[in-house]
Amino acid sequence: MLWLISAQLVNGIAIGLVYAVMSFGLSIIKGLLNVPNFAHGALYALGAYICYAVVSLQLPFAIGLAAAFLGAAVAGLLLDRFAIRPVGNGGYLPQLIVLFGAALIIEQLLLIGWGTVGLSYSPPAMLRGALNLGITVVPRYIAFASVFSALVIVLVWLLIERTKFGAYVRAGIERPETTQALGINVELLLSSGMMLGAGLAGLAGGLALPIVGATSTMGGDMLGIAFVVLVIGGLGSLYGSIAAGILVGVVQSLTTIVAPSASTAIVYVLMIGVLLFRPQGLFGER
Amino acid sequence: MNADGEPAGVSDAGVSKSGPHLVSIAKVACVIAAVAVLPLMMPINIATEIMIFGIFAMATNLLIGTAGLYSFGQAAFFGAGGYAAGFLLAHGWTSLPLVFGFAVVVTGLLAAAVGLVSIKRVGIYFMMLTFACNQLIYYAAYSWRSVTGGEDGLAGVRRPVLELPFVGAIPFDDNRVFYAFTAVLFLVAMAFLVRVVESPFGLVLAAARQNTRRAASLGYPVAKLQLVAFIIAGAVSGIAGALFGMLYRIVPIDSVHWFGSAYVVFMVVIGGTRSMIGPALGAFVFIWLQGLLSLTWSRWPLLLGLFVVATMIFQPDGLLALLTKRPAWLSGRRERSRS
Repeated sequence: MLWLISAQLVNGIAIGLVYAVMSFGLSIIKGLLNVPNFAHGALYALGAYICYAVVSLQLPFAIGLAAAFLGAAVAGLLLDRFAIRPVGNGGYLPQLIVLFGAALIIEQLLLIGWGTVGLSYSPPAMLRGALNLGITVVPRYIAFASVFSALVIVLVWLLIERTKFGAYVRAGIERPETTQALGINVELLLSSGMMLGAGLAGLAGGLALPIVGATSTMGGDMLGIAFVVLVIGGLGSLYGSIAAGILVGVVQSLTTIVAPSASTAIVYVLMIGVLLFRPQGLFGER
Repeated sequence: MNADGEPAGVSDAGVSKSGPHLVSIAKVACVIAAVAVLPLMMPINIATEIMIFGIFAMATNLLIGTAGLYSFGQAAFFGAGGYAAGFLLAHGWTSLPLVFGFAVVVTGLLAAAVGLVSIKRVGIYFMMLTFACNQLIYYAAYSWRSVTGGEDGLAGVRRPVLELPFVGAIPFDDNRVFYAFTAVLFLVAMAFLVRVVESPFGLVLAAARQNTRRAASLGYPVAKLQLVAFIIAGAVSGIAGALFGMLYRIVPIDSVHWFGSAYVVFMVVIGGTRSMIGPALGAFVFIWLQGLLSLTWSRWPLLLGLFVVATMIFQPDGLLALLTKRPAWLSGRRERSRS
């Protein structure tokens, strides 16, 4: 039993880190553009499909991940230019409707490109097999995915906290008007924020490909989880989604031991539970 | 909350009375004529579906257009109404008042629960919370197989029977009779919701949409009134969901999926949020387009997505504004000045 719990715990942390990468992207977009990105799930699916396309050309998995990030980032740029911006002055309701319409378009394009049958891909030879951690045995790929996700999160954190670009981003989130008044190109900043956030969603999709495969419905389910993670983390908090992502992953994995069928619903129960005690989310301020 | 766009809902209430009676009588006549002509233009079940989603969209517009509460979880109530009514109908209880009463009570209570959790959160937070509650209810319906049929949907739903004292029992097995019944409910729902919007209660909701803090500091219990609006919208959506289950004699699991919530917000916004005719028009365009597109191409949601994006970019005020803008002098409505 203890063995099972620790195995699920490690598993949960790995999945939670993928959630964290995804929701961190959502959090950046929410912070900068002040719109809940309804296309985030579709971008995640896009990343998985792009990664699949690259590795089926016999290219290395690493290139697949890079392509997933870049492809989704370009899609994010297109969304910003041709969907969000044209309806920008009407508040966020038109924006999120346009994003939802765009999500429909992306998902249908994926179905046209790769068909309705789900795709699966086993990780490269180097990442197959298991790793003995002493307390428990972990599939190598799961270990890789967690370490890689953690690295990505740290890198983005450094980008935001320790670079000039990051200072602009933080300024843009805190005081958009002042930032513009200081002569910073906020339009460009919003575009790059959208690209970064979308890219993270794509990267999460690429990372998830060897675990869950690529299916047309993966985006919709993931969107729900990403929203929950963001709400639990606290909407005002840029980094809350990281801890919340891991929490959601762990709770979900541990629930699988007791009641496998409830593992999806538990996420939403957790969210409502958290909100009853901390309405602003775990790390939100208000 | 940012008070975007034009003031909705209250628009007709405070306008000067230069022949408002004629205009509103003409409007009512147009709506009734449209409802009467609709089944001649298309397959009867599509027409019935337009009526059903018209009810759903108008109920949602009470939240979006009047109260400014952008709920993305209304399909939860639509689906729950379908399950509540469908469960009774599939188990032999076919009395019409009982079935609809049960659907209204169940969805009203559910809306109260969701509203209590989410109503005090504003803006994007509210939207995401209603969305997440929708997901929770979806998974609950998905797992509760003994009642909802889970993935397969709740099958074997029969249509109710209306027992009238002197007329006798009226069954709704004929699709034309069922259309007539749905159309009557549609008109009743429209009259009811217009009344709600124009009532003092609706005016306070609209005031709170434009400036929540000011409305609250005038002494109005804003959160309580918003909760009441949320419950009304949920219960009316539940009626629409009940009708949907009766129409196809099955309640599919998709009827509680959050996609339905997003679609109904589309209908409201592409139609126009400023009156109750807008959402009805949006439902008409959406359902008609969906029926048309799904016949032509299996990837029709792509075209639907393009339509939605194009509508939002080129006609952000909704399709109704397209019809009403040109003959502004005809309707005798003055251009409103923003204060």
